[in-house]
Amino acid sequence: MVDQACTSELIACQQCDALYKQPCLNEGQKAECGRCGATLFERKNNSIERTFSLSIAGLLFLTPAIILPIIGVTLAGQFHNASLLDCITQLIGKGFYMIAILVFMFAIAVPTVRLIGALYISYCFKFNKIKPFLLHFFRAYHQLDSWSMLNVFLLAIIVSMYKLLDDTELSVDYGLLAFVLLLLCSTLVSVTLDQDYVWQTLEKECLDENS
Amino acid sequence: MKTAKEMGLGLCPECRKVNEMLSTQQRCSRCGSLFFQRKVNSLQYTLAWNIAALIAFIPANLYPIMIIYSLGVPEASTILSGIGLLIDHNLYPIAVVIFTASIIVPLIKIVGLFFLVLKVHLGQRLKPKKHSKLYHVLEFLGPWSMLDVFVVALLVAVVELGFVSTVEAGPAINYFTLTVIFTMIAATSFDPRLLWDEDDTIEIDKPKEEF
Ligand SMILES: [Zn+2]
Ligand SMILES: [Zn+2]
Repeated sequence: MVDQACTSELIACQQCDALYKQPCLNEGQKAECGRCGATLFERKNNSIERTFSLSIAGLLFLTPAIILPIIGVTLAGQFHNASLLDCITQLIGKGFYMIAILVFMFAIAVPTVRLIGALYISYCFKFNKIKPFLLHFFRAYHQLDSWSMLNVFLLAIIVSMYKLLDDTELSVDYGLLAFVLLLLCSTLVSVTLDQDYVWQTLEKECLDENS
Repeated sequence: MKTAKEMGLGLCPECRKVNEMLSTQQRCSRCGSLFFQRKVNSLQYTLAWNIAALIAFIPANLYPIMIIYSLGVPEASTILSGIGLLIDHNLYPIAVVIFTASIIVPLIKIVGLFFLVLKVHLGQRLKPKKHSKLYHVLEFLGPWSMLDVFVVALLVAVVELGFVSTVEAGPAINYFTLTVIFTMIAATSFDPRLLWDEDDTIEIDKPKEEF
């Protein structure tokens, strides 16, 4: 049997369950599983600083991305445009509640919560305000990862534009620009945030306090 | 090569800490989440969600996803006929994108998961390296099938905001959304470690616990 002190020096592969002794890595290095090739463990460069700035930038782009029009069309001399918010209110008006909720969840709510979450976590780490509460917070944050569909939504915008190209004059609005930047920040945040580092620090700080 | 399971250890799926499995359901000493050594009934759940996805995929293709009113005459188009229309208009790149996202990706995902479940069930391992790559691909592909749903959502919204011709979402969009969500759940229910367990644990005196 292995006691608790030893288990913290072990890592197991998520894909194939192979057991390894935790390697000592420098920033920017990563360890791969020898059996299945999955990434075992990573030390990301300057993780907290980067996550902090990126999540602030992302939150700044959030409001314009939602409120400013993302598609504008000139048809029969009249100019029409739609923002993400218009999109949702129209869908509700038409009775497509399920789709409205989906668009709201995947394109607005999840990315927003993720950015705020990343900001809060990196803020706490940056200014050394690590609390036991963060353990639960980070766990919840981690679960949002697979439900952000900003990139899919962006592709949908482009496809819709193509579909409307036929009989209309299209214009790209600032809303779309803000949306692209929001997408970039949100994607980069999940790349820069070093989960292993966050977990290990939280464990060291919070669980030692408890015992 | 030792696996965590052979050593009586289990990997926390949330924070990736290796824990000693004191009971079948273990609370992670780091993040406090409850987990099992392997996802419980992984194959059954994956299979069930996968079948649900397949069933929802049928009406998703039979019912119209979009109804276009041109000069007051409603013209319903299914996913496939919509793609046909795009080809007629020589919008090949968009036709390819929509076809990939709405037909190929969901099908690959459903078939791929059936294949993995079957492989684990039969205890066959052809090339695990290949299989776990397949699983990675399946997990990554998931959200992209939302494309058509978002496209229709955007078109409905843009058009509703004051266009001559109108577009309405058809009933297929709900079924299609269900297909996407079901396959995402199916992929998360699958435990890739089962692909590796089978022939490793056979020689060990422990009886097989799962499935
Ligand atoms: Zn591995
Ligand atoms: Zn944990």
